[in-house]
Amino acid sequence: MSFTERMLKIDRRIIFLVIGVCTLVPLLYPVGLPIRISQEVRGVYDHIESLPEGSPFLLSLDFDPASKPELHPQSISLLRHAFKKNLRVIALTLWVSGTGMADQVVTQVAREMGKENGKDYVFLGWSPGGTAVIINMGQDLYGAFPADYNGKPTKGLPVLQGINSLRDVSYAVSLGAGRPGVEEWYVFGKDKYKFEMGGGCTGVMAPGLYPLLRSGQINGLIGGLRGAAEYETLMDQKGKAIAGMDAQSATHLAIIVLVIMCNLFYFSSRNRARSQGQAGA
Amino acid sequence: MIFLRRQVPLLITLITGLVFAGQYYVPHPASEQMLTSVTKWLQIIGGFALVLGVSSLFHVHAIKIRRKEAGWGYSFVLYVGMLGTIVAGMWSNGKEAVDGAMTAFGWVYNFMMVPLQSTMFAILAFFIASAAYRSFRARSREAAVLLIAAVIVMMGRVPLGEYLIPLSGDLSQWILNVLNASVRRAILIGVSLGTVALSIKIIFGKERSYLGGGKE
Repeated sequence: MSFTERMLKIDRRIIFLVIGVCTLVPLLYPVGLPIRISQEVRGVYDHIESLPEGSPFLLSLDFDPASKPELHPQSISLLRHAFKKNLRVIALTLWVSGTGMADQVVTQVAREMGKENGKDYVFLGWSPGGTAVIINMGQDLYGAFPADYNGKPTKGLPVLQGINSLRDVSYAVSLGAGRPGVEEWYVFGKDKYKFEMGGGCTGVMAPGLYPLLRSGQINGLIGGLRGAAEYETLMDQKGKAIAGMDAQSATHLAIIVLVIMCNLFYFSSRNRARSQGQAGA
Repeated sequence: MIFLRRQVPLLITLITGLVFAGQYYVPHPASEQMLTSVTKWLQIIGGFALVLGVSSLFHVHAIKIRRKEAGWGYSFVLYVGMLGTIVAGMWSNGKEAVDGAMTAFGWVYNFMMVPLQSTMFAILAFFIASAAYRSFRARSREAAVLLIAAVIVMMGRVPLGEYLIPLSGDLSQWILNVLNASVRRAILIGVSLGTVALSIKIIFGKERSYLGGGKE
């Protein structure tokens, strides 16, 4: 077996080791390269900035622990921004397996920003039905969620004063890791109940949401860890996303180098096989 | 019995399908009230579907354990995990924390479910890298185009890529905003038209597979 053939059949554990080192080293020794802000992320940030104090802001944390590394930093940044602007935060999740995590992030950021449950924010929790929950909230918010996550009746909560349905929400952001997520919030929510909307998603999902973005159906998109890092940069708060960008940079570069190498070996081995074939003929 | 198993569901589908397709265009309070009621039913049915799903899962794995089929040990682990979580959840009244103190359910969630799911997702990076090395080869012109686009987007989406090749950021944005968005839109339109066609077939009883097999 020639060198190129041996390299094409390289033990995958070597590749695992390369990726492991490329992830670990930048986390231990961060470089902190500058992060350029995209128009997609700026769209969400600018809209929240433009909202007057006390505006109802709905945040749907539609993800589970599998997407935590990408969407958790996004939710922290968005919540910090909303609380900093003194918006009334209405949080919920459409993913049952994400309920505990969503409750933790909302409570943690609210405590950090000195906000009061029921007055400045509410976590509605999870309700079965998926997209039906969105329609139900659009029809009657109190029908969809008669009580918040802690069992307190939603009717009469100061944070929900003047809000009867999704029509009364100033801005909604869905941080989605799949279905139901950003697309469902647009189709079943914004399209009918006419509220402004932005989105956040995992890196692999982002390209699929660009048609919604370009047509103005959503006014901004925070895509993956990069999007979260951009939001942290805009907020001037270094968090887990910025810390993870160096590791992501190194792993992307490692994969690119691996792909180029494998193509070089592939062409070299193909050319050799051809020349051997011609010599044989 | 055929009437109850076939004609009645078809009739319900026809009436509800037509009524709710029309409802979207009628903003009258009575029409809106009807939608409110029906979405509440949907939420309730969603709750029952969850119970049905869990009981079906239990049933399937109970058969596997009873027959000692290949991999029945995993089914046993599933049983222990599910029952353990249900007991912990009921014991803790479905709450992960009470007055800041973590409950048993919270412990299961934070120290078992969160790390397990995160690990599953994290190891994808290793397998993707290995798969990319083995299969991302420019075997044809189309594959070469895909390869070049992927390399540009991968470079443009990370600060190091933009630092090494400053143009990669703008190029990657152009690929995402123009090429990707237009192709995705075309796919979306196609899928949507297909969904409309399928819905019409279901409403008018042409497509009946949702009724299931079963004897006539």
